[in-house]
Amino acid sequence: MNRSHWLDHTILWVGILFLLTPVWLLIASSTHSTQTILQEGLQFLPGSEGFAAYKTALTKATGFTDTATGYRMLLNSTIMGLGFAIGKILISMMAAYALVYFRIPFAGFLFWIIFSTLLLPLEVRIVPSYDVVSQLGLLNSYTGLIVPLIASATATFYFQQFYKTIPNELLEAAQLDNAGPFRFFFDILVPLSRTMIAAMFIIMFVVGWNQYLWPIMMTTEESYYTIIMGIKNILSVIRESRVPDFNVAFALVVLSLVPPVAVVIIFQRWFIQGLVESEK
Amino acid sequence: MSNKRVQFSHSAIPYLFIAPQMLIILIFFIWPALQAFYLSFMLEDPWGLSREFVGLRNYLYLFKSSEYLSTFLFTIFYSAMVAGLSLGLALVLAVKANAVIRFQSTYRVLLTWVYAVAPAVAGITAYFIFNRHIGVMYDLLLSMGWDFSPETNAFDATALLILVSVWKQVPVNFVFFLAGLQGISKAVREAAALDCASPSRRFWTITFPLLAPTTFFLLVINLTYAFFETFGLIDTLTRGAPGGATTTLVYKVYQDGFLGADLGLSSAQSVVLMALVLSLTFFQFRFIERKVHY
Amino acid sequence: MNKMIQAIIAGVVVIAAIAFFVVNNLSNNSATTEASGPVEVQWWHAMGGSLGETVNAMAEEFNASQSDFIVTPIFKGSYEETITAGISAFRSGEAPHIIQIFDAGAATIINAKGAAKSVEDIMTENGYDFDITDYIQGVRYFYADANDKMIGMPFNSSTPVLYYNKAILDEAGVTPPKTWEEFEMTAEKLKAQGHIALSQSHTPWIFFENFHSRHNLQIADKDNGFSGLPTELMYNNPELTMHFEHVKEWKDKGYYGYYGKAWGDNQNAFVAQDVAMWIGSSGSFGGLKQSAQFDFGTTYLPYWNSVNSNPGTTFIGGAALFAMAGHTDAEYKAVAAFFDYLTKAETQYFWHEQTGYVPITNAAYELAKKDGYYAANPDAEVGIQQLSLHGSEWTKGYRMGFYVQTRESIYREMDRLMAGETTVADMLKAIETDGNRNLERFAETVK
Repeated sequence: MNRSHWLDHTILWVGILFLLTPVWLLIASSTHSTQTILQEGLQFLPGSEGFAAYKTALTKATGFTDTATGYRMLLNSTIMGLGFAIGKILISMMAAYALVYFRIPFAGFLFWIIFSTLLLPLEVRIVPSYDVVSQLGLLNSYTGLIVPLIASATATFYFQQFYKTIPNELLEAAQLDNAGPFRFFFDILVPLSRTMIAAMFIIMFVVGWNQYLWPIMMTTEESYYTIIMGIKNILSVIRESRVPDFNVAFALVVLSLVPPVAVVIIFQRWFIQGLVESEK
Repeated sequence: MSNKRVQFSHSAIPYLFIAPQMLIILIFFIWPALQAFYLSFMLEDPWGLSREFVGLRNYLYLFKSSEYLSTFLFTIFYSAMVAGLSLGLALVLAVKANAVIRFQSTYRVLLTWVYAVAPAVAGITAYFIFNRHIGVMYDLLLSMGWDFSPETNAFDATALLILVSVWKQVPVNFVFFLAGLQGISKAVREAAALDCASPSRRFWTITFPLLAPTTFFLLVINLTYAFFETFGLIDTLTRGAPGGATTTLVYKVYQDGFLGADLGLSSAQSVVLMALVLSLTFFQFRFIERKVHY
Repeated sequence: MNKMIQAIIAGVVVIAAIAFFVVNNLSNNSATTEASGPVEVQWWHAMGGSLGETVNAMAEEFNASQSDFIVTPIFKGSYEETITAGISAFRSGEAPHIIQIFDAGAATIINAKGAAKSVEDIMTENGYDFDITDYIQGVRYFYADANDKMIGMPFNSSTPVLYYNKAILDEAGVTPPKTWEEFEMTAEKLKAQGHIALSQSHTPWIFFENFHSRHNLQIADKDNGFSGLPTELMYNNPELTMHFEHVKEWKDKGYYGYYGKAWGDNQNAFVAQDVAMWIGSSGSFGGLKQSAQFDFGTTYLPYWNSVNSNPGTTFIGGAALFAMAGHTDAEYKAVAAFFDYLTKAETQYFWHEQTGYVPITNAAYELAKKDGYYAANPDAEVGIQQLSLHGSEWTKGYRMGFYVQTRESIYREMDRLMAGETTVADMLKAIETDGNRNLERFAETVK
């Protein structure tokens, strides 16, 4: 028995190392000088430079207007993650409420319209989507960055499923109490959904933070760059055979993954719940 | 649709609640999607200065193109590999994590955090690690006699892409498998322990069939992932090269429509993809229906 | 009553949300239209890394030199990504004022009536003298229309040249090859010393387009697309077949190193001294000076003596600046002022010296000569000298629709040839098929 446990732990640690090593390499290498990296390659052990590269990555602007610093890009990514999560949860909860708790004509039709959004990811309809957003004058705005992504209705289904599991007696009691639809929603349904909201929030924040193609298309002003765009710009530089400051580049990569990873680790329980629920 | 016995019966209020979602869907989804459909029958100059109806020509062009066919086949192969490998790996880890008693929650955290890493970030990380000049993996492979060059070798590029995609997808599968394993009741497991002496037989005859619904469901999730969510990964890692060997259908939409400025052609590809996703969803629904009877 | 209050609250929330979006938009729009101070123009470019820094320095100098106009350069990624971003923006009326478009995209913008405003018109309308003959011979007509009217202003102009590692060549006792025939002997000697002789960074540009210019071979019908919309791509010819049969052989013999389609991967092989020679852009000079830790020289692009014993000039590569249509007169005034600044001999000389791109005007070339720049850096002159070689029937340039995709096919087929997945004949056949289809599709879109 003991021996098999020992084996179990070993296999688990192999898996953990498989996941962890790549990121660890970047973290360790980011504390070395570019010169060391160029001569000796990536490093497994931390170097002597400390977190100097992080300071540069955070404060040094990359473009012309001096606005696209690491700080600014992190801020934009945070706005993107928060805006996407909050917006999506708000809108989905409301829509699901209307679908489940009201008798509305054409409910089936509305349901299918919402459902259809799952069929065509943004990447596939990107050019027409861009057209629409720019016609509305939303280029270079947080609204334009966030709202079109909310169009996908995954969260609506999740809340719809969740509401269906809430016992009918609650609504009956509320109606006896003379509570109207607004009071029922805000006083009963929202508090009941608390842990679900938290779970969804974690997942959606990560999804919003990690957006790649859409921010690249949408923004022409450096003040709206997200950290993931910063990553892409590093690659553009390398592909044209210009040697970047590797330690700063690694620092930027690490900075781009720390916030979402931290959120997932800190709120592990909700994260797992959110993941399981949102993909059901 | 709604299966609540008791409902409110207000006339205006539900519309107020559903309006924001509908508005956003109409403006940012239905409108662009219809436009893509419409444009797929058009031949248009890049700047949108002229457009002409060409019927099914864009579609015919696609189906006659051997490049499109090979992209299609690669997408299927790649998705199957990613799904198969990441499911297998995650299953092993989940079974082991379920078996150990100590440190279980620590293991769970250490095996799930990668979920939060953006595909583009995973791509650039792998780019550095396998880089000819600074990458440690390149050196390691070279010392084993493998001159790893995803820039020129289709096999290497495909292997690299699959490896990173699997790396990114293991946590999701792990979470679901672990949840599935923990859902198998203690009574079932104890009964199994009495029936089958060997642990491996126990796994294949009792546990695995019980996990089958989870596995089927995950298969769809994984295929969707490989189809769509790996865009950032491909764009940072191989950009479809060498020789178009790592181009997926979604990446080709981007290449033709976005970089190549041929809107009609890329719209036709979007419509084809739409049909594909539709069939995948249909498959999923059929399956979920079956799952209810378990 | 209670219900009413709730309904009112909900209504207010919804209205507030809508108002937020509207205000967000308005403030956005007003920011761009309400320009009461200096006129702002946006310049989208594809100059990353140190080139980008030089671009920024020039814009800053221009902005500081006067108070009426502000130019804001924005890096939009690769050449392909920049033109794509410009197209998307134009379609939705959000086009930048100035956009940098590369050689392969020239047909896309010049053939589109109403996408760009001719640089010649902008300059004369705003009271600047414009004379196309001020520009050096090689760049004059590449971005001009069928009537020789300049549409895009050549900006970062370069041409393919051969860079060589002096120490390695000396060690093998060879000089940089003038012809490909000579190269074969050079390569053999380099191989004997354990070196790969050559890498090259841009297959379509160097081995296809400039191969034809250097040997004075036709690329497409309708005078390479200058006198009309071409429908026939002529890459599938005996000369190019011969060339690629050799390239393949060099690859197999270890004379030629192929590191994939990315520009940087092939250049890095030269910087890391994995290869002794590298064909890149004359505009790579500045970057190489920084990154290469060894002494290197520059010389002309090799040619096949058997194909043309009197080879001429190469095409101008790089990119031009186009003024996009649909802006106000005040904004074009700013564009004109900036273009005027960019073509000044001093500005051009600065750009040339910093980056290695060729000076685009005769005056700038003279200034660099007079300043003794070439006496101190003879290698820096090679690009412009090559562009000053005699021109012939097929050296003016080329104009082909959806050529960006054709280049993608070339990259793809080159990858396959080098990996041994295709033959030279099949490769050129596939490129011809794809290219002709692109030309045909493009011709249909031009009204």
